[in-house]
Amino acid sequence: MHSKRNSLTVNQKHNLTGWIFLLPAALLIFAMNFYPMLQALFLSFQSGIGNKLSWGGLSNYARLLEDKVFWTSLINNFFYLLIQVPVMLILALILASLLNKKDLKFKGLFRTAIFLPCCTALVSYSIIFKTLFAYDGYINTILLNLGLISSRINWLGQVETAKIIIIIALIWRWTGYNMVFYLAGLQNIDESLYEAARIDGAGPIKAFFKITVPLLRPTILLTTIMSINGTLQLFDESVNLTGGGPANSTLTMSHYIYKVSFEYNPQFGYAAAMSYVIFILVALLSFIQMKVGDKR
Amino acid sequence: MKRKLLALLMTVAMVVSLAACGSSEEAATTDEAATTEEAATTEEATTEEATTDATAEGEVQTLTVWCWDSFNVDAMKTAGAMYEAQNPNVKVEVVETVSSDIQTLVQTYAMSGELDALPDIFLMDDQVFAKYLQNYPEVFSDLTDSGIAFSDFAASKVANSVRDGRNYGVPYDSNTVIACYRTDYLEQAGYTIADLTDITWNEFITIGEDVLAKTGMPMLTNVQGEPDLLNMILQSAGISVFDTNGNIALVDNEGLKEAMNVYIQLVEKGILQEQTDWSGYQGSINNGTVVGTINGSWICATIMSTDQAEQAGNWAVTNMPKLNEWEGATNYSAQGGSTWAVSSSTDSYDAAVDFFAKTWAGSTEFYDSILTDLGAIATYLPAAGSDAYNQTSDYFGGEAIYSKIVSYGGQIPTINKGIYWSEEKEALGVALANVLGGSSDLDSAIAEAQSTVEFNIGQ
Repeated sequence: MHSKRNSLTVNQKHNLTGWIFLLPAALLIFAMNFYPMLQALFLSFQSGIGNKLSWGGLSNYARLLEDKVFWTSLINNFFYLLIQVPVMLILALILASLLNKKDLKFKGLFRTAIFLPCCTALVSYSIIFKTLFAYDGYINTILLNLGLISSRINWLGQVETAKIIIIIALIWRWTGYNMVFYLAGLQNIDESLYEAARIDGAGPIKAFFKITVPLLRPTILLTTIMSINGTLQLFDESVNLTGGGPANSTLTMSHYIYKVSFEYNPQFGYAAAMSYVIFILVALLSFIQMKVGDKR
Repeated sequence: MKRKLLALLMTVAMVVSLAACGSSEEAATTDEAATTEEAATTEEATTEEATTDATAEGEVQTLTVWCWDSFNVDAMKTAGAMYEAQNPNVKVEVVETVSSDIQTLVQTYAMSGELDALPDIFLMDDQVFAKYLQNYPEVFSDLTDSGIAFSDFAASKVANSVRDGRNYGVPYDSNTVIACYRTDYLEQAGYTIADLTDITWNEFITIGEDVLAKTGMPMLTNVQGEPDLLNMILQSAGISVFDTNGNIALVDNEGLKEAMNVYIQLVEKGILQEQTDWSGYQGSINNGTVVGTINGSWICATIMSTDQAEQAGNWAVTNMPKLNEWEGATNYSAQGGSTWAVSSSTDSYDAAVDFFAKTWAGSTEFYDSILTDLGAIATYLPAAGSDAYNQTSDYFGGEAIYSKIVSYGGQIPTINKGIYWSEEKEALGVALANVLGGSSDLDSAIAEAQSTVEFNIGQ
């Protein structure tokens, strides 16, 4: 035993120390993350109600193909993804480059103000938006008093407006968060590049597209992946703002999973199968993003 | 040097805070251990020795209860106080827990097998009681031979918590549907409550249009996507959406079509204002932006919870409209209501059963007091004969509303319900929203609802 330990090379010793340091965290991650994930995978091959589960093979995945509500929720998720993510990221990018200007006054104040929405809890902000856009809520009252509308609008009760409000809420909540990443990225761009561009006669818009955007590419990639991931797992807004309605038009996949697990007669196997579909979608989209976006 | 000092200070601070965390956690765990030990000894005391010994030892047994709404919480606290007065060794502790949270928690604990985390007693919504009893029978204590007299409760209500001939619940509040209207608003339009009594939906719609034109106020309010009112209309006419085998039967269900048509007309004509959620629903009643509402009689508590003093005395109770020419249509229906359950993991089964036998299932005095103080209308039959039910309510125009509600209760038609109630409710909600939103006609919306529910049952 002793002789063996002594025979370790310095490199091996270093490696061993490294692994020992990693071990507690690795074990915890395995127990708290990977083990439940494996369990969920196993669960997704079982079907039945509540605790009465039996082996169903791929039946849950086959069932998904026929589930109209699931497809509706999938389409809803992609609708949010395609509209909200680009708008939010472009807005964040513009705000970040504006706030990065050297001669801007009250920079700290603006940065804080734009970042603050991220500090509100998801449920609270959803409820605030719901109250604002309620039938006898603040927005309707203001618009009515200003004479912009003649009768109250049921914002959250109509398909189009309900979707738009969810998107507005998401943009309000997450733009500041992404802006902080861009601000951090901008600190790494040398000011001299902009000076050189100015001397060469490039306007601020040209500088933005030719310098800022290309040099921020890794950060943009990161925020895109995070936003896609977040949007596909959207839950709180669907539950608290609209309850998935009207007629499932704002229902997200995660909300549907919750319903299948806790509101209907519980079908945990089926819910686990849906979770895996989201997992695969996120993995796939991130992979494509990295292949397309990362040109280093 | 400075940096080293700072690092040292930080380390010390961290160690101290960690130690503090550690010790408090330790304290908490020992505390917990102590209570579980205590609970264990109490259990021994009650089951193995005679109960009198436990009293002699002066050990206090706690019955933890989960229920929602201040109304239910107060009723349970009243029962607890009554029982505690006679049984000083038992303490009833009520923890307010939202109905949907109780459902989620019961399910989570049942799935994980952690039944010990459940309280001794919990309240469960009647609409889901059967579903939970079927899916998680291990959560519920069998109360059949407990000595609780189930025959003292309305039979239709008891049936809801029975499985294979065994009783698993103690019935609580009445689910009799009433229609409540603001008499002051009706007066403005030239109507009285008598004009809205024993009428059909067609007559109601005519009156509703008139009231809307004269006062600008919708007659009714309802939560969007939650077709509670539709289900009330269905039951009032004895129309089932499940066949006797529990299969969904929406397509070719003429009664359903008729009822949905009524609902759609109500919304399209502006007689019924849909609200996005329950608080919007409650708000429209309490803020006086609606003439009335149709719901289970427990809605009285909501109506009375307004801060607008002028509403007092301006409310009246009557029966709901009936489904026009439909054969078997009545003006009576059921909605909501809830039932108490004793969890199987309780250490205090005997105490819990005795508590129910002496209060909820054995004391007309108790029911009189919750009726008088809280307006809680129960389904305990011996209580209905008491004078308390003949008392008048100043809030509802000085009328004896309780005896009125009790008299409605006996005329409710029974329909087939199953464990797929939530699925049905949701599918019909989607169907209504699709028709109202113009994206689908009634027949195809019903067909889609049928296939959605069939899909969910098909697991």
